[in-house]
Amino acid sequence: MPRGEHLGEFEQVVLLAVLRLNPDGYGVTIRAEIEARTGRDASVGAVYATLDRLETKGLLDSHAGTPSPTRGGRAPRHYRITPEGRTALDEARRMLDALWDGFEPGAGSA
Amino acid sequence: MSADGVGGPPRWVLRLLGAVAPEHLRDGVLGDLQEEYHERCARGGAGAARRWAARQALRSSIPLLARRRGEHTRGKGGGGMEGWMRDVGTGIRALVRRPGFSLAVVATLALGIGANTLIFTAVDGTVLRPFPFPEPDRIVGVGTGYPRIGRDLSWFEHASPAEYRDVAGTSRTLQDLVAFDLGNRRIAAGGVPTNTFTAFWWGDALRTLEMPAWLGRGFSDRETADGDAVAVLSHRLWAERFGADSTLVGRTVQVNDEPYTVVGVAPPGVLFYGADLWLPMPIAPDEFPRDRRQFQMVGRIAPGASLEGVNAELAEITRRVAREHAAEFPEYDGWQAVARTWTDINVAGVRTQALILLGAVGFLLLLVCTNVANMLLARARGRRQELAVRTALGAGRVRLFRQLVVESAVLAGVGGAGGLLLAAWGTRGIRSVVAVAGLGLPGEVALDLRVLAFTAAVTGAAALLFGVVPAVHAVNASTAGTLRTEGAGLTPSRSRQRLQRTFVTVEVAVALVLLVGGGLLANTLVRVSRVDPGFDADGLLTMRLTVPPERYPGDAMQLFFQELVDAVEGLPEVASAAATLQYPGVAFARRNFWPEGRVEGDAPVPRTLATLTTRDYLDVVGIPLVQGRGFTVADGPGAAPVAVVNESAARLLFPGEDPVGRRIQLEGPAADAPWFTVVGVAADVRNVGLDTPPAAEVYASHEQAGRGSNQLFLVVRTTVDDPYDALAGIRTVVQGLDPEQPVYSVATVRERLQARNGTQRALALFLGAFAAAALVLASVGIYAVVSHGVGERTREIGLRMALGAGRGSIRGLMVGEALVPVGAGVVAGLVLGVVAARGLEEMLFGITAADPGTLAAVTVLLLAVATTAAWLPARRASRLDPVEALRDG
Repeated sequence: MPRGEHLGEFEQVVLLAVLRLNPDGYGVTIRAEIEARTGRDASVGAVYATLDRLETKGLLDSHAGTPSPTRGGRAPRHYRITPEGRTALDEARRMLDALWDGFEPGAGSA
Repeated sequence: MSADGVGGPPRWVLRLLGAVAPEHLRDGVLGDLQEEYHERCARGGAGAARRWAARQALRSSIPLLARRRGEHTRGKGGGGMEGWMRDVGTGIRALVRRPGFSLAVVATLALGIGANTLIFTAVDGTVLRPFPFPEPDRIVGVGTGYPRIGRDLSWFEHASPAEYRDVAGTSRTLQDLVAFDLGNRRIAAGGVPTNTFTAFWWGDALRTLEMPAWLGRGFSDRETADGDAVAVLSHRLWAERFGADSTLVGRTVQVNDEPYTVVGVAPPGVLFYGADLWLPMPIAPDEFPRDRRQFQMVGRIAPGASLEGVNAELAEITRRVAREHAAEFPEYDGWQAVARTWTDINVAGVRTQALILLGAVGFLLLLVCTNVANMLLARARGRRQELAVRTALGAGRVRLFRQLVVESAVLAGVGGAGGLLLAAWGTRGIRSVVAVAGLGLPGEVALDLRVLAFTAAVTGAAALLFGVVPAVHAVNASTAGTLRTEGAGLTPSRSRQRLQRTFVTVEVAVALVLLVGGGLLANTLVRVSRVDPGFDADGLLTMRLTVPPERYPGDAMQLFFQELVDAVEGLPEVASAAATLQYPGVAFARRNFWPEGRVEGDAPVPRTLATLTTRDYLDVVGIPLVQGRGFTVADGPGAAPVAVVNESAARLLFPGEDPVGRRIQLEGPAADAPWFTVVGVAADVRNVGLDTPPAAEVYASHEQAGRGSNQLFLVVRTTVDDPYDALAGIRTVVQGLDPEQPVYSVATVRERLQARNGTQRALALFLGAFAAAALVLASVGIYAVVSHGVGERTREIGLRMALGAGRGSIRGLMVGEALVPVGAGVVAGLVLGVVAARGLEEMLFGITAADPGTLAAVTVLLLAVATTAAWLPARRASRLDPVEALRDG
């Protein structure tokens, strides 16, 4: 990933959801995972736009699954995290931790 | 219903998402939607699922679209509002970095857009929406025509009071039909009596227009029925003469020495042919003879009715009137009454010219855009490195293109704002041009919301026109040639040269179209000014006097005019003087004359100008007699009535016969009208206008015309260089005879004759200015092409010189190459110009739209300018030192 480019907040959310479902997550389950964990009802389009962008950056890769009648005969697209994706998540985590160091989460001061 | 038959998400949802999702995501997005839809159906029912799907479709479209647009750009951002704003920011910075270039572009654009805004302002204010009526399309005038007696359909001073009653009394499609006559009244304000153009009404025009009075009210029905002494003033009269005094309503003003109570002030811009004073008609419609035709009708189309409906009803009414009155008034056989919108009636004469002007200024904008495109193209050369770097750093073609177009839009925006400023500043000037040209247009020239919208649209169109082509070119060049050092090859960027040459062709063509139009009109004006009017039109001063009949009863009016003429002739600045109903340049009164011996039932002789004059009129103006005599002292009120006819009238009334000694009757064949004996034949002169063939004219003695007319022009042959130098003396004479008597409509005969060509003059002025601007712009374009050519081909030129080419031949080569696209532009411009000039045809005099002289002259002018523009930079090429050129290039 080019220097100076960090994961956006929603990118991290999506990437983490993919990681939790690894290697079989696809649109419906990723959205369900995000909603279950964060209470956030992200739109189908927003999730796909982000998945696609992460894939372009090389943090995810994807393959087509088996079409099914409930999907109107369309194949689901399964997403899997790449080693680069994993590194990016770690990096993001490390950066946040470094920033949080010394603060008590939820203290609500300031 | 989806294909699986179970019932899927609404079809529009699938269509919409299918359309916005990038191809490789489509199956995933649509499949997910369907899968989850079925799940939700099972859980919460079809209704909830459908609502969910609809929400998803709307919420998903924007991120998917943004993703789609950003897919070329790789990496972050690019889509959405944020990306656009960033581009605008980058655009502004890019322009600020090159202030000279930006200023040149913005100034060029501001001129083009400003000119367009200005012309639109003028056209909109005077032709498209000249009246401030709330619903201009529903306000109509009713015109009449009487083919049987050779009177064409007209809406001006053409209907009789009885005809007004015929229509007003029965029409269901017209509401509040009112009628008015025009005249002049003397109004005293601040102690100075001033002649005021006055409308006399049956009915309240403000009610017809559905406009409230500015102050007070309009006339009541009783006031116009009884002809009460009440008055409504125009807004401008109230503002200019009465200091916008808000307490004026209810007070009295002196109108021809009678007290009138002011009941209201009309809203601004509501004037009716410029009448500043409105009075109730003092006489009821049925007291006029049925054929006294000098009125105009204005009405409002009733709710639910249409203009077609009104005209269908009018046709019925005319048929009924014809049945009832044709026996007594034969002109009712086949007569017409036709409604048209008041706007159409009043601007029909200049609409073509207005559209020509809009078209011409549009051409100028096209030229401006081409020029700016050319400048951008030239700058793109300087930015090749920058763009190539950006491409290498990952900016996609679409992104780059967008960036360049946004820069153009920023330029256009600033140029548009500048144009608006210029237009605001120019509005005052254009008002005076419209006034000087004597166009007499209604309406006002002012910037308003419509103008703003127009400017915005023009600016947007301009940005597209000049921005897109260079942007495409720059993007293509940057991705094809990337980081190679520039100027290494022997040949220049061929495609840019080609594009620049195309621009030159377009510029030359547009410039030539404008030159052809301007040239034809200029040629026309020169020809018109060279026409021999048939009399000495210089040195003649004229002015009008309207004598109030109530103060000059019986013979007093005749005596007043005779005394006036005699007293004026005593002035040292005056050689001779006469009074007349009309004169060359101001010819409006036409009547039917019936030649003695013509059989009743024959077709009537077409109307001729009918001019009442005092004795010496023909001498004063200088119209020669070709036969017989003019009026003498012997032709007094008691003597047998005599007339002088001009040559055209003689041919018309007595074809192939000697008219002298024959008799004619006014509006015959009626038994009780007097017979005039023709005593002389006057030469034909240009009595209507310089560009119009002489009209048939019959002169009769004012003294023998009963009480005569109370409105006459004084025509004075002056002995001074500037005829206006005689005015002060004449005013003193008038004051001496009657201190209350105003003098107005002062003009020289020459001015009146020229005013008739006011539209041509105004149009020629504008087209000439546009053509001059076009020439400058085209030369800049040609200069740029040659100059760049020389810059890019330094090595080639050096090589040619090293191989023995002389300086002259280098110059010739560069100029010759530049003139190839110029030649193409000339051919295109001439063809287009001749086609476009056909719109001018009815304004031309003595030449056709394809006048070879004009075409040749403007082509030579253009070629001369083009050659100069090409020669200047070519000279630089020929001065190159071949050794230096080979080394540096």
